[in-house]
Amino acid sequence: MTAGTRMSDVSATMDFRRRDARDKLMGRTRYTIDRYLPGMLHAAVLRASVPAGRIVRLDTAKAARMPGVRAIVTAADAPGTIGIGIADHPLFARDLIRYNGEPLAAVAADTLIQAHAALAAIEVEIEPLSPVLTMAEAIAPDARLVHPDWHDYEILLAGGAREGNVAWEASVVRGDVDAAFARPDVVIVDSNFRVGRQNHVAFEPRAVVASYEDGRFHIETSTQVPWTIRNATARLLGIPASQVRVTVPPVGGGFGLKFDIAIEPFAALLARASGRPVRLVNSREEEMLTCLFRENAEIRIRSAVTQAGEIVGREAVVLMDCGAYGGEQIFLTTMTAHTLGGNYRLGSVRLVSRAIYTNTAPNGAFRACNGVYNTFALERHTDEIAARIGMDPLAFRSRNVLGDGALGATGQRFDGDVLGPMLDRMNTMRPATATSRERNDGRLYGRATTVGTWFVFVGPSAATVNMNADGTATLVTSGVEIGSGSMMQALPQIVAATLGIAPDNVIVRTADTDAAGYDVGVGGGRTTVSLGAASLQAAQEVRKKLLKVASEMLEAAPEDLVMQNGRIEIAGAPGSGRSVAEVASHAQAKEGPVSATGAFTGRGVPAMPGCVAGHFIDAIDIPVFAVHDCEVAVDRDTGHVEVLSYKVVQDVGRALNPRAIRGQIQGGVVQGLGYALHEEVTIGADGSVRQAGFETYRVPLALDVVPVEISLYEGAPSMGPLGTKGAGEVPILNVGATIACAVANATGKRVQELPLTPPRVLELILGRKPALAFPHIADAWADNLVRPHGQP
Amino acid sequence: MAVSLIVNGERMASSADPMTPLVDVLREDFHLTGAKPVCREGFCGACMVLLDGAPALSCLMPLALAEHCEIRTVEGLSSGGTLTPIQTALEAHDAVQCGMCFPGMVVSLTHVLATTPSPTRDDIRMALTGNICRCTGYERIVEAALSAVAK
Repeated sequence: MTAGTRMSDVSATMDFRRRDARDKLMGRTRYTIDRYLPGMLHAAVLRASVPAGRIVRLDTAKAARMPGVRAIVTAADAPGTIGIGIADHPLFARDLIRYNGEPLAAVAADTLIQAHAALAAIEVEIEPLSPVLTMAEAIAPDARLVHPDWHDYEILLAGGAREGNVAWEASVVRGDVDAAFARPDVVIVDSNFRVGRQNHVAFEPRAVVASYEDGRFHIETSTQVPWTIRNATARLLGIPASQVRVTVPPVGGGFGLKFDIAIEPFAALLARASGRPVRLVNSREEEMLTCLFRENAEIRIRSAVTQAGEIVGREAVVLMDCGAYGGEQIFLTTMTAHTLGGNYRLGSVRLVSRAIYTNTAPNGAFRACNGVYNTFALERHTDEIAARIGMDPLAFRSRNVLGDGALGATGQRFDGDVLGPMLDRMNTMRPATATSRERNDGRLYGRATTVGTWFVFVGPSAATVNMNADGTATLVTSGVEIGSGSMMQALPQIVAATLGIAPDNVIVRTADTDAAGYDVGVGGGRTTVSLGAASLQAAQEVRKKLLKVASEMLEAAPEDLVMQNGRIEIAGAPGSGRSVAEVASHAQAKEGPVSATGAFTGRGVPAMPGCVAGHFIDAIDIPVFAVHDCEVAVDRDTGHVEVLSYKVVQDVGRALNPRAIRGQIQGGVVQGLGYALHEEVTIGADGSVRQAGFETYRVPLALDVVPVEISLYEGAPSMGPLGTKGAGEVPILNVGATIACAVANATGKRVQELPLTPPRVLELILGRKPALAFPHIADAWADNLVRPHGQP
Repeated sequence: MAVSLIVNGERMASSADPMTPLVDVLREDFHLTGAKPVCREGFCGACMVLLDGAPALSCLMPLALAEHCEIRTVEGLSSGGTLTPIQTALEAHDAVQCGMCFPGMVVSLTHVLATTPSPTRDDIRMALTGNICRCTGYERIVEAALSAVAK
């Protein structure tokens, strides 16, 4: 790069500490749940206690006269509907109740106790309907429709096939799969898999404080997506989006739970009705029962493979339970192409991914959504293939992983050899811990190595950098700090390196939709990439402006100047120049304050024409790869699985803050261990989630975990700023897969389900677990589609 | 009838119902929002405070039972914005993520470091079983505690 285009003189890489740690450690940080405003009312939501029914009568008159009650709102107050792809979701149940826990009314009162007393006084008469609780029931030919009016819903994105309880269907076809399966030289491997739901258990529940002033709503909320809250609230209330301002205090954990609108509109409506600020905080029970879970899913995958190990054809059907409303699962049908269709070179492929309505709580986004279970299915299937053709599973993977020029499922062309070298690196890490096979305690020992493909959810982001006359810079974005540290570390590091100032001197403005431009939200590994790219562009513009002013002050060409250590100097002549503060204040006085904005969105890598139908993303702009390895010991008598070691090689593009990334990997892997081993959600006959709290939903504890051995793989191609990729989302991606493959390896049994709770493992060991069958998934792939692929 | 208690060295009184969970009194009456009511069932440990020097779950403690007790919340562990050794170690190890569990973590670790002469790695892991963290995978918290012991 020539001096004239140089955009930084110092490295952005460092283990920069996070500025929010001190207050968090001293208990001073004020999350949304810690905000109490003068005159504030307390709100509560009346929820249905049946999974399906018709509302015959809902009378709030008596409740409105209860002591302390200031406002009650119902479906009449929220005319709009929201959704992804299709607008199927009202704020309150209108005529039909579609899940146990669905909101019916909301009350604001002087105290929370008064609000709850008023809820109890609301008179509700419901005619129960027979619920559709499983996907098998939902797609049966005579199933009752969860949305009888599905055909009339407003379509927000054209192209998805829909019918009855199939909320959305996305398909991929590349090449002649029938011909591949008919080849005489292939073996056909057919596998079924099933996974349950996973609850995020974000420690801060969804919480909001709303007020209504000067004809506008101000919503302070615990969210990952301030702009979604703004726009979706407006849609539901039937008001212009410009009437909603969203600000976000520090968020006490998200993991995708807060990637969608939640309880904000209730508080907004109550604030407008009462004229007072309104606080609404989900109880832990509400969090558990109405969590936008990682969805339960059923996967059938078949492959045609030659004895030499070439995958000539692959087909799959993936059923994803979206619950009562489409929500995130509509979008996530897209991801099957890139996760289940990822990892390996395929001669031909066809996949269909269907989001299915049931009378259960709506599901949502959860860290590496869709990828976690599809990677489990794909990697277990891969081991079954390797066993079937008698090839070492590692050798099979090395032979087939995506490499430079390889075609993805949708026909996109991948750049660079990444997974192969990552597998090689894992091979060098593996002998570092002794194998546990020689242990002689009667347990069954196993190990596995898996690969995974994920992506960065790029999309629009905006940033403004204001250069202050004191030499600091203020970064204004709609980014939210949810705990991952991206807003506290990566972003100020990027701006600071560009401007040659200390990252502590970059002030990070908290999210405010009135102050910063549009942003998709914090999730999908996109913060450092998308907000980072917008921030980098803004900072580079500020840098150019400052260098121009400095060049006049110093009588030197801008390309001869460097910005470092808070100074702008002539290259090679330390002490020759001025401080950034001097230049910035000079500029401010002569030309006005220096600032600039940056904007970013995905590039839109092309897929092969005709390959995809019903997809939101045809190809992935920034793939992210992971290789995981673990050793387990399985107790034959109890079915308990102990994880003995865990190793990760993760493709990070470029690690701006290696220590922070390692922290994300340890945390993500442990969350994945919970999913793999003991976090279990079941639905009762009344359609409600049975795990209502921490006693019944078992998350990993300090004694359950192992230190993860981590190697950051740098240098893979990325369009992210400074070569970065998202690093916080992907660590959970192949944990379920790796544990499942290791348990299968230890027990010699076919692992088809997660989580591997002791009873489930014991059934496997004792041979009491019948093979998983899906009578509701048709044998012929095409019979699973409501509309043939490619037909409008 | 107000209930009197000593919070972070100061005598304070609350007129809340005697059955009110201590965590709500601390947060809503005394504006000490460090303790977090995360599960309200005694499982997660985010509301932990020191009650007469011993870790206690303030979500399960009715106000009346805390009468005249000496309560130290996370806000009362450090003084004048100076971090305690365990807080310093947690900050230095980049252990904090969302931070919601840390008030309870800090209280538990403060107690174990004060009462166990030279805690081992397993002592610390054991001491943390009543404090759940959803973000970090615990490892750095354990490492930080061990480094605080070493100092």
